[in-house]
Amino acid sequence: MTRRPEFAAFIGLLFVVIFFGYFGWPVFTSTLVTASWLNVAAELGLIALPVSLVMIAGHLDLSVGSIMAAGAMTYAILTGHFGLPDYIGLPAGLAVGTFFGFLNGLIVTKTKVSSFIVTLSMMFGLRGLVFGITRLTTSTVLVPVEVSEMVRSTFGGRLYKTFENAIVLWVIMAIIVSWILYKTKYGNWVLALGGDKTFARAAGVPVERVTIGLFMGSGFGSALLGITQVALYGSAQVSAGQSYVFYSIIAVVVGGVLLTGGYGSPIGVIFGTLTFAIVSQGIYSTGWDSDWASLILGTLLLIAVISNNTFRQLALSAGDKVETKPTTSKEPAEIKVTQEATND
Amino acid sequence: MTEQRTPYIGLKNITKVFGGNAALKDVSVEVYPGEVFCLLGDNGAGKSTLIKVLSGFHQPTSGIIRVEDRELEIKSPRDAAHLGISTVHQFGGTFPLMSLERSFFVGLEPTKGWGPFKVFDRKTAKEIVVREMQEMGITGVTDGGQLVGSLSGGERQVSAIARAVYFGAKVLVLDEPTAALGVKESAHVLRIIMEARNRGLAVVLVTHNVRHAMTVGDHFAILIRGEKTDDFHKGERTREEITDLMAGGEAMADLETELAELSGARTTYL
Amino acid sequence: MLHKKLNWWLVIAMLAGLLLSANTGFAKDAPGAGAKHVCAIGGADAFFAVVKNGADLAGSLVEAAGSKYTWIALPNYDNIGPDMVKLIEQAVALQCTTLAVPVWDGAAQAPALARATKADVKVFMYNSGLPLLENGTVKAYGYYGTDEYKAGVAAGEYFATHGSSNVRCVNTQPGAVNWQQRCGGLIKGATSKGAQAGEIILPAESFGDAAAISSAVQATLAKDPTIDGFATGSSADADAVNEALKVMGSKAQTGGWDVSVNIINRILDGKQLFAVDQQGWYQGWLAVSHAWLYDQFSILPADPVILTGPALITADNAETVLSGVEDGYR
Repeated sequence: MTRRPEFAAFIGLLFVVIFFGYFGWPVFTSTLVTASWLNVAAELGLIALPVSLVMIAGHLDLSVGSIMAAGAMTYAILTGHFGLPDYIGLPAGLAVGTFFGFLNGLIVTKTKVSSFIVTLSMMFGLRGLVFGITRLTTSTVLVPVEVSEMVRSTFGGRLYKTFENAIVLWVIMAIIVSWILYKTKYGNWVLALGGDKTFARAAGVPVERVTIGLFMGSGFGSALLGITQVALYGSAQVSAGQSYVFYSIIAVVVGGVLLTGGYGSPIGVIFGTLTFAIVSQGIYSTGWDSDWASLILGTLLLIAVISNNTFRQLALSAGDKVETKPTTSKEPAEIKVTQEATND
Repeated sequence: MTEQRTPYIGLKNITKVFGGNAALKDVSVEVYPGEVFCLLGDNGAGKSTLIKVLSGFHQPTSGIIRVEDRELEIKSPRDAAHLGISTVHQFGGTFPLMSLERSFFVGLEPTKGWGPFKVFDRKTAKEIVVREMQEMGITGVTDGGQLVGSLSGGERQVSAIARAVYFGAKVLVLDEPTAALGVKESAHVLRIIMEARNRGLAVVLVTHNVRHAMTVGDHFAILIRGEKTDDFHKGERTREEITDLMAGGEAMADLETELAELSGARTTYL
Repeated sequence: MLHKKLNWWLVIAMLAGLLLSANTGFAKDAPGAGAKHVCAIGGADAFFAVVKNGADLAGSLVEAAGSKYTWIALPNYDNIGPDMVKLIEQAVALQCTTLAVPVWDGAAQAPALARATKADVKVFMYNSGLPLLENGTVKAYGYYGTDEYKAGVAAGEYFATHGSSNVRCVNTQPGAVNWQQRCGGLIKGATSKGAQAGEIILPAESFGDAAAISSAVQATLAKDPTIDGFATGSSADADAVNEALKVMGSKAQTGGWDVSVNIINRILDGKQLFAVDQQGWYQGWLAVSHAWLYDQFSILPADPVILTGPALITADNAETVLSGVEDGYR
């Protein structure tokens, strides 16, 4: 069990819960504070989960913030500014996000340029496009939206007190993404892609199609978060989402996914997302001076990543790495020791 | 050794030029099932290029490829895989961070169920992987969920060979399989190679280690700077002659040491 | 093996550091149950650092009187609406009894503040959002601050009436709403006094990027040398613009909406035309102290709106302001 990638992420989560449970006592354990970090985790999770698949496959997506703004702004302009009904504006927002994800995947597979560079360019280019179009149509940068009752109560609704419906969306997405990675052959392909693209291709994995599909997924997730925020908060802003680029990578890496790909799990990413949310919101409960908040955030995350690394090393050495191996189990332990001694 | 006369693969007059430099010049080889064909030569002789042509990574600049007497092109690694040509690379060609059963079945995952709910049957995959590994003599593997990276270099090589054999490869191409291994692990890998040969596969073994080649090889060819300079069968040349034929072959002293160690280690594997 | 051991020592060292620092003064003692808890939400940039100084001083008096004080920081202005709503909900979760908050995004913040009011949190506004209080969108017990739009207009008018005929607003956060109000106001103010005006828009993340600002200004000047006025938002931006003007040898005038030692010195030397001060320190001070006064004793000033700006700092009054700026009061 200890060698599963989720384990280290779980330990990290346990650690921050205990940490803030102690320093944030008693307010940290209250219902409303729990809702505050669970909401943050759910919203971040909508992006972090699809991004984790992209990263397990060995790629990066730096354009998630811009795609989120594009999806949100599409919905806001169509429904808020032009007055079209929600059932046109909302799917349009999702379609726009998925489309730019598709574009990312297409450029990465066709040009062989690294996904870091491609999505970095998309980050700037798309942000500029969203800004230009928004200014052109609405002449502002913040567009308020009168969200319909149906959308408000589903995407923008609250389950109980301040717990957002986004939590339900996140759970659904977690089930889908976990199913893909753990239970289907596509999940195996994603891992193989991240492990070694050449070998994966030689083994028959349709590398291009999988890559494009993964980027479409992260585009969809980003747009989903964008429109969910419009439904929750009633407005969309052009500059929205920039922080999510880093937050999503943090959640994914703290969740045990290797930055270079080929290793990781959605359950770990869920733990990583929760860990990040608790750290970023738990600081308020401690009453510590907010001037130091970023330092504390950074330190805790560094601890989480290092402990992750350590557990992964353990997982990799779970087998017997000594070169000589007795071929029968009858050989007693002492002989093995002397064999080791003479081998070096 | 001379029963089958139809080669499974025949490369005739293969030339491969990279930007003005000829890595292969007019090389012809034939690969027969149930035979280990050793491609010898020092680094830079063109061995890697030749097997890359065989496995579809490169297309020859000129020359003919025949598979079972049909003339065709091997345009991609996927083509090669469909023709039953399985290549095992020096560092195992597996995915070190994946568990055994995942790595073994990449691209050919067994599934259960139907429609969009088709599930990758990992339980069956684990059972198969453990069984195949054990049959190949790796008794230490009992849990298919173990990570590939926790296997030793030799075990990884064997697992890659086991994979090729399991999926019905007709030609097993091994690129310097023992170069990164110690003496005892090399011996194990060589035994598995012979096992594969005995099961009827054609084996192409690329190596610069004359000792190992002579242990398992039936048919040999020597490449020097892209050209085939010699072609002979087992028993037709001595070790010293082969070493002389290969420019920059191993020093005699190293060979003697390895010979002594190899004959000492042989007994523990019985 | 060594690698693994080093990892664990690193972890232990960091943990020890955290625990040590936690015990040596970050933590504040909790007051008795039923005590008042004054909270303020604000930004984390250079301007709000000064606001926080005022708020913290008032906060220390609040704590000396036996109540609790918390400053909740908004890390950036990228996604103001959702982030502010989350912070307002956080304040309610932290059991604040009063909350002082700037309102930048009425559509998002108004419902959240209404929910906070229903949860028995007394709401005060500061720094931004005056029109929303006046038209009833947000209900609060008071407002302490200026208006970004009015500050923009004041700047534009001053440029136009003091020798500039072609003014540019250097917008380093083109997505953010407060910037939009400022530059919009500047253009309105300048054109109403007969000058030309426009906006230079930099890429979304260039807030604080001196090189990007400097080169953008140089490029704009190269294209249109008749520009003779630049307005900037932060003291760092102003420094960058000045650098650009020096490089281009331009005689354009500068003015802005932030105050710093560099800016005051430039005004005194005649190199900067003016600074529009909204007296952020005063906003922080007023917000926290008045929130507590009402919470504790139900005391409110006769006029719930106290304007701290726009206050124009020019060569005439710059001297008096200097020491305050140096000490972090302005």
